[in-house]
Parts: sequence; C-alpha cells; structure tokens
Amino acid sequence: MTTLAVRGLTKTYHRIRAVDDVSFTLTAGRTVALVGESGSGKSTIARMIAHLVRPTAGEIVLTGPDGEPVPRRAYRDHVQMIFQDPFASLNPFHTVEHHLARPLRLHGRSRDEVPHLLERVSLTPDFARRRPHELSGGQRQRVAIARALAPGAKVIIADEPVSMLDVSIRMGVLKLLGRLQREEHLAVLYITHDLATARHFSDEVLVMHRGRIVERGASDDVLTRPQDPYTRRLAAATPDPASRFSRGGLS
Amino acid sequence: MSYYVRKAAFYLAALWAAVTLNFVIPRLLPGNPVDILMAKLQQRGGTVDPAARKAYETLLGTGGGGSVFQEYVAYLGNLLRGDLGVSVSAFPAKVSEVIADSLPWTVVLVGLSTLLSFLLGVGLGAVVGWKRGTWLDALVPATTVLSAVPYFWLALILISLLSSGLGWFPLTGGYDVVLDPGWSGEFIGSAIYHGILPALTIVISSIGGWLLGMRNMMVSAMSEDYVLTARAKGLTDRRIMIRYTARNAVLPSVAGFAISLGFVVSGSLVTELVFSYPGIGSKLLQAVQNNDYALMQGIFLVITIAVLGANLVVDLLYGLIDARTRDRSTVS
Amino acid sequence: MRPKLAAGLGLAGLIVLFGLIGPLLTGDPATIRDIGLTPPSGEHLLGTTLTGQDVLAQLASATRGSLWIGALVAVMATVLSGIFGIVGAYAGGAVDEVFSLFSNVMLVIPGLPLVIVITAFVPPDERGTWNIALVLAITGWAASARVLRAQTLSLRNRDYVAAARVSGEKTWRVIGVEILPNLLPVLASQFVFTVVLAILSEAGLSFLGLGAANSSTLGTMFYYAQNGFALQREAWWWFVPPGMVIALFGGALALINFGIDEIINPRLRDRPRRKRDVVAVEAEIAPVEPDAVLTVRNLNVVYQSSPPVHAVKNVSLTLRRGEILGLAGESGCGKTTLAYAINRLHRPPAEVTSGSVTFDDVDVLALEPEELREFRWVRLSMVFQGAMNSLNPVTPIRAQLQDALRTHRPSMSAPDRELRCAEMLRLVGVDPARLGAYPHELSGGMRQRVMIAMALLLDPQVMIMDEPTTALDVLVQREILNEIKRLRDELQFAVVFITHDLPLLLELSDRIAVMRDGEVVEYATAEDVYLRPEHPYTRQLLASFPSLTGDRGALIR
Repeated sequence: MTTLAVRGLTKTYHRIRAVDDVSFTLTAGRTVALVGESGSGKSTIARMIAHLVRPTAGEIVLTGPDGEPVPRRAYRDHVQMIFQDPFASLNPFHTVEHHLARPLRLHGRSRDEVPHLLERVSLTPDFARRRPHELSGGQRQRVAIARALAPGAKVIIADEPVSMLDVSIRMGVLKLLGRLQREEHLAVLYITHDLATARHFSDEVLVMHRGRIVERGASDDVLTRPQDPYTRRLAAATPDPASRFSRGGLS
Repeated sequence: MSYYVRKAAFYLAALWAAVTLNFVIPRLLPGNPVDILMAKLQQRGGTVDPAARKAYETLLGTGGGGSVFQEYVAYLGNLLRGDLGVSVSAFPAKVSEVIADSLPWTVVLVGLSTLLSFLLGVGLGAVVGWKRGTWLDALVPATTVLSAVPYFWLALILISLLSSGLGWFPLTGGYDVVLDPGWSGEFIGSAIYHGILPALTIVISSIGGWLLGMRNMMVSAMSEDYVLTARAKGLTDRRIMIRYTARNAVLPSVAGFAISLGFVVSGSLVTELVFSYPGIGSKLLQAVQNNDYALMQGIFLVITIAVLGANLVVDLLYGLIDARTRDRSTVS
Repeated sequence: MRPKLAAGLGLAGLIVLFGLIGPLLTGDPATIRDIGLTPPSGEHLLGTTLTGQDVLAQLASATRGSLWIGALVAVMATVLSGIFGIVGAYAGGAVDEVFSLFSNVMLVIPGLPLVIVITAFVPPDERGTWNIALVLAITGWAASARVLRAQTLSLRNRDYVAAARVSGEKTWRVIGVEILPNLLPVLASQFVFTVVLAILSEAGLSFLGLGAANSSTLGTMFYYAQNGFALQREAWWWFVPPGMVIALFGGALALINFGIDEIINPRLRDRPRRKRDVVAVEAEIAPVEPDAVLTVRNLNVVYQSSPPVHAVKNVSLTLRRGEILGLAGESGCGKTTLAYAINRLHRPPAEVTSGSVTFDDVDVLALEPEELREFRWVRLSMVFQGAMNSLNPVTPIRAQLQDALRTHRPSMSAPDRELRCAEMLRLVGVDPARLGAYPHELSGGMRQRVMIAMALLLDPQVMIMDEPTTALDVLVQREILNEIKRLRDELQFAVVFITHDLPLLLELSDRIAVMRDGEVVEYATAEDVYLRPEHPYTRQLLASFPSLTGDRGALIR
C-alpha cells in the first residue's frame, strides 16, 4: 500500500520559519485535510511534497505498494499535484491534448489513453483539441485533475482545488475528486482554508497556524469540538447561517 | 541594504566597467594605435621622446615592457589625476582641456533639450492617454514615426527648410564667430539663437518615445481600481487625471529614463556634427577622423560618466516619488 | 488580424521587397555619368548624385544593405538577450543576479559612443559587415534582455510551469516548450525594435565614415551626400529619400509593435469613446416607498459590444433606511455591473438602456456630470474588492482621505480635516498615527478598514460594498463584518453588500437578492431565502455550501 510519510518538515525563508517541524502520513484510500489561513505555510508544504521546493530540514518518505521506499527518480510516478488556479495552471499556448499526453509519455504510457483520462474526469474526448481559453473554470480544473492522474499517481496533493471556481461548481469538482479517490484508492492531501468542505471531504484534519500544526484528529472531532484556541476562533469566524435561523421547514 | 546605497553601488560598478572597457578595448582589437599616434604627433611637431610613447602605451597598450596589470594601475592613477593624455588633433592641447572647452556646450544643449522633451512628451502622453478616442490619438503614430527618423537626417531637413529655405536660423555653429565667448548678453543671446535648431532636432526626435510610453501607461492606469475609487469619490476629473492616473503612470517613464537617455545622447552626438556645434560630439568625430585615440577615449569616459550621473540622479528621484522602492529588498 | 499590425506588416513588406527586388531592376548604382546633381526627372526618377549616379538605384541597394545589417544584428542581439534575459531569469539565484547586473551595466553605458570607440580601433580594411553587425549586437542587446527577464520572471512562477515540473519535464523542455512560446509576442516585439535600432545606429556610424568597408547602406548614402555638400547645394533628392526609407520602415515596425502590444495588453486596443453612459431616462420617477432611500426600477444595462451583452435585465430593488441588502451571485451574473450602474460608474461600452435609479428625491440617471460628481460619496459611497488596489499606491493614506473632504467640503479648515480623518480611522479601529503610512505598509485587513473609514467620511446614507472581504482571511473577514454591523447600528446608513458567499449574506443581511444571468431570481428576507427558497438556483447555491455544524456526510460521501 502506497504511503507518504512526512517527518519533521521545516522550511525557512530569510530566517522566518514558514513551515516548522510538521509530521503526518498520507495513506492510500484516505483524505487528509490541511486547514489554515493564507501564509500559514500550507502551500509551502504542498510544494515541498511535490518536489518544487527543497525543505530546510526533515524528510519525505514515499513507500511503494510493495512496501519498499520509492527511489527519487521514480517519485513523480507516484506523487502528483493539483494547483489552485485553473486559469494559471494550464499553459495558454497548448491544447488539452498536450497537457495530458506529455505526462503520459513521461511516465511510460501511451498518448492513446488521453480520451480515457478525459472520460475519468467526466469530459468528452473532443476536449482534447481545445485550448485552455475555450474552457470554463470547472472544465479546466477537471483537465488539471486528469493531468495529475496521467502518470498513474497514487498520492495526490490538491492545493485549494476549488477556491478559484464559481461556487455552484465547487461541489461538482470536489465530488469528482472524492469519487476518484475511492475508485483508485488514492491518498489525497486536501489543502484548504474552508473548514466546512474540509469537514465533509476528509477523514483527518490538520490545522495549521504560523507554520505549525496546532491541532489534528478525525475531521468531525476537530471541527465540531475544537480544543485549540486558534481552531476555535477559526470555527467561530466561519459564516454559519444555521446559528442565526433555527431550521424550520427544511429537513 | 537601503535603496540609495544599492543604487550608488550599482553606478560605481557601472563606472568601473566603463573605465575597464576603455582600458581593454584598444588592447583586444587589431591594429597598432600607439604607432599611428606617434606618427601623427611627429607630423604636428610634437616631441617623440620615450616618455610620450610610454604615456600612450599606458592608455592603449601594445608593446611596452610592463605587465598589463601595472599598466592598469598606472592608467587608473592617471584617470584619478584627471590626466587623459595629449590630444594629437588639437596639439599641443591636453585631452582634458579639449573636453573642458566643449563639454559645457553639450551638457547645456543635450541636458536642456532632453528635459524639455521628457516634460513635453510625458505631459502630452498623459493628455493623449486620458482623452483616448479623440483626435489626439493621431499624435501617437505621428510622433512614433518621428522617433524612428535618424537625428542627423532630421537636422539636415530642418536646416534645409528653416535655415537655407526660410533663413530663420543660422546654418551652423554654436554662436556668432565675430563675438568673443564670454558672459556678455550679446554672446549668450547668440548662443541661444544658434542652439534653437539643434535643440528642436533633439526634442522632435526623442519626444515620441516618452509620449507613447506615457500614453500606454495612462491607458493601463485608467483601468486600475484606485482610479475607479477616485471616480466614485466624486473627485474632479483634473485631480483624478493628475494625482491618481498620471502620478502612477509616470513611474515607468522615470524608471526607463536610463535606457532612453543613452539613445538621446547617442543621437545628439551625431546631430552636433551636422550643425558643426562646438560640443563634445563634434570633438569626438574630429578625434575619430584624425585617429586621435586619446581624445576619443577621454570623451567616451566623460560622456559615460555624465550619463551615469544623470541616471543616478533620476534613480534617486525615483526613490522619492515611489515609496515602495525604498522598502523593497531585492535588486531591480 | 488587427488593422495596425496588418498596415505595419504591409508597409514593412513593401520596403523589404524594394530592398530585395529593387537592385535587380534599377541598374548598377555605381555607374558614373557626366550629369551630376540633376533633379528628379523621367529618366532618373530620384535624380542623380554629384558624380551622376542614379539615386534610385543607390537607394535600392542601400535599402538592401541596411536591412541585411538590421536583420543580422537583430538575430545576434536576440540570441544574446535570450541567454542573459530568459536563461538568467529561469535559473534564478546568483546566476540571475550576475546576468541582470551585467545587462543593467551594459544598458546604462551609452551605446553609440562605445560603438564609435570600438570601431575606430578596428583598421578600416578589417571593418567588414559582420564585424560591424557584431559590435552593434554586443552594444544593443541589453534593453531587450531586461524586458525578457521581467517577462520570464513572471512566467516562471506561473502554475503551469510548476505543473510541467511536477509532471517530470526536463529543464530545457520547460524553457523551450512551456515558457518560450508564451514569450513569442515579446520576443517578436523586441526583435522588431532591435532591427530599427540597428538600422539607425548603422546609419549614424556610416554617416561618420565608420561603417563597414565597401558596403552600401542608407548610412553611406548620407555620408556621400554630406561629403558632396548636398545640403549646401540644395540637392534635397540626394539626402531626403534614404531618410524617408528609414522613417517609413521605422514607422512600419512601430505599427507592428503597436499591434503586438495590443495583443499582449488588450487594454491598449482602440476603443471609440461614447459620450453618454445613459441612453434613455424615464420621464417620470417611479413612486417610491416611504422609508426607501434607494430605489432601482426596471434597470437595464447593455454592453454595446458585438454581439451586445445584456448584463442587467429589468432589475428592481428597494433599499430601506439602515437596511443591509445582500446581493448574491456568481461571477458574470451582473451584480458588479448593477452596483456600478447605480452610481453611474460603468464605463463604455456599457450603457444604461432603460430604467430608473432614485435616491431619496434625486433621479440619479438624470444628473448632469457636475451634479453627479457632487452626489457621489456625499450621498453614496463605495468599498471595492481587494483594498490592495483601491488605494493609490504612491500617496500616503492621509492625502487619499483628505481629498474627499477637500473636494466636497471646500470650506473645511486644514486642522478640521486632519481631525475628521483621525476620528474616522479611530472609528474603524485603526491608529490615527498611521495616517502618514503608504498603502503597502498596511496589512490587507487594515487597508480595507481604511477604505471603510474613507467611505464614512462624509456621512453617506448608502454604502455599496463589492466583495469587500473576499480577498481576506476568515478571521479578518469576521472582524470587518462585525465592524460593519456595529457602524451600521451606530450611524444608521444602509448597505448594499455584494458577494458570492451566500452563507455570509444569510448571516449579515436583512434582505437578499439572488442574481443570475443579469436577473434577480429571488428577492426576499434572509430568513425566507434560507428556510424557504423558491427558485431552484437559490437552492442550488445553498447546497453549494456545506455546513460546518450540521449533519455530515450526506453531501459528498
């Protein structure tokens, strides 16, 4: 079973600890939510796990399905990332086909799988010919998800995957991610500032504040009965109409 | 490191690079400038003693006994003392004297016309950008074509139209030669009269760049949120245009001053030749035509120092008008 | 294709064609005849030189020579600027520092004097075309490198570059396949710029007699014209044509650059200015409810593009005194257009085509420009999304607060203005000592507080807030929301609060209007919208926000 263990991860920028001694484990079939405000260090963690940023200290250990550590050059076959802004994460110059065929070929798979990949994210095969500017935000993010799946990765880092999308399509994209996670038995790190989706979408929650994890545990426990004062303030600040109106007519 | 210290350090580095280039160029390129110079010097009846030869070798290299490093140190020493050698084209005058005589003409002419062109171009650009969609838009392609015209050609055209044709301005020169140079009202008047056409050439050729840059930045700035806020605040159009839009739009023009100044100075030098203007450009060409390498190098250094100095002043000014630069830590 | 680009390409093409084919048609430019300095005639269309050479023939071969030099220099300089600009910026760190320092030093050393010094040291018989081109390239690449570096720096931080790296692409492929294609417009524009610059520099150099040996360029034509005293002999046909060719070519390339600029930056595209922002004004003001402060009736806003976009359709809203009206909707639903139209801040091509906006007794759509200016901020103020950009970055916040007072209360004394600004800052919880601060010195939350203080300066009856907390973190958002509620209770102004965040509105507003495709599809009290939504779209929006406290699991799993 593929697992990714993060131990003592630390990143220092100009003597400021953006990420300070963070440890957690991602296991196949489970979603871990990393919750925090902007500047809390959550995106830096994503970029370190995606090997885009080198950690100052600590280690990231990936164990393959055979129980053996995965060598560094094969790392990207297993760990992929979905970026926040679908308008920035697709190259405006290239077609959807390019965005999917490249990672397929880089990881020893055939570009004939492009239509199949599109189907997995509920897009029709004719999207392959289109360019990013011809797609809506939701369609773009689906392509980005397909790109992350292309190498056959089992660990997916989703960095605020829906926060730039229109509200009415956010649930659709999250449900798609949830479905893929169950079907492909993925290990997902869901990074978000939104406590409510974190609660519904993940098994475990890590709350970050100023580079440190201040609280962790099963999502429902942490978010409905927070212990840490910061988590409490965060939960209290989230708009919640239910507290204003007692639920009458709606079941 | 503070903004000002960084800027000063950068210009010191640029100055060092220019001085070193000046030292390296004659040593890297083919030909034997020292021999040519010594031959010229002989023609003019100069002393051809080993000391004179040694002085040129320090400046230009080739042959000589000492190592390059010793020459470099001696060269820097000479520069610090202001000793740039002897000019052969203006023998027996020293290079520093030739430059001292001609530099004020160029500094005043190029300095004033560049300033005028910048102010006019930025001012017009602000208005053209603000009033986009009116007949003023036609100014943009018109001035851009003018800025693609060689300075010296424009000078030729202006002379043939306004001097030869209409007789409004003198053909050439920096002042009426019957007058004695000095601080007399008559002389200054004559100098101004002679300077109008060269200045006009520089202004017409360089204004297009400023105008276009400012106009484009105005158009971009007009769709910024702070301009929208200013409109929502019910401020007068005049205040929105000047304090909000133009104030922000002018920043790139000031930041890009360094690039533009180099072009303007280059063009002005050749313009001086057409007008036989008694400035440093004419002297540079005189030096080139007479293989007066010492004078040539001296002039290159002085022009470079003047341009670097002007840019340093503009950069310091930029720090004053944009508070953000002073707080930024990265090198621009 | 954009018209400027087409015109520029056409003109440049003609000149290139002239340089390519002209020399084949016009005969030998060097042929000497005994008809020196004849003016243009049927036989010699552009006259002859001092030695009787045909000027047109010379012009054709000189054009070819100049274009060749221009192209050579531009290719070499583009390669150099690519290395120092693109590669340096992508590599980052010390490489970038050194490369960019080097480019900047090369940039501030004036080009032509350096070229003159270098070429003067090269013996005349060794001054070949290639050598001259090389010198011009070495002294002319730095400006482009700077532009390319800035562009590459912004591209290398794009997520698609990071995504390519995560896919496992090699560095050279990331630069060549992901970054370079997006740099093409900039590269093209820099190439064009360098061609013009090289032709101009070469002309200057040849004019001084420092050009390539035995070459024929527009600059050498000037040189011979100057040495043949063409000016003094009034032989204008000798020195005017080469200058015209340069000017036309420069103009053509400038047009091409305009075209490219417009592609890179759509804001620069030509846009005819419309005189009116309001097409039809209702003759009679619709009856107004007694406690209404702002009444919008059947408002329609159309973007007069092709095809026209009907952004706001028949919207009617009533804002009562002291009420918070929430305006909910997704991007593109017309909520921001509506807010701007209420204050007539919409810009062309947007037009109010019909409807009315009544503010107390003022018919806003009928106001003359000066009346409108006096109405704004005094009666109705606005707070925009992302206070980051709503404040002028180059002046301290004091000046930005004060100029509202200066404009609308000209009789107010300077000390009173200062007092008023300090009082308003204190009211929104900002230390008045920060009056001298520049926007970049304040945090996002502070900036938004300053904006609210500014909006309250003149005691307006209505404040329109367009996504005022969207760019802020939850904790700061909560503080600002509490602040708005407190100030509303204290000062009794009414608020139109625009956001996509329906739960936030449900908590904050008295009434809510839900907008979709320009229409208000639901308009009711917050309680009704939450508990008894009528329109399916409202229900869909409500379902898009899972609850933090309610039942778990039903939504996704």
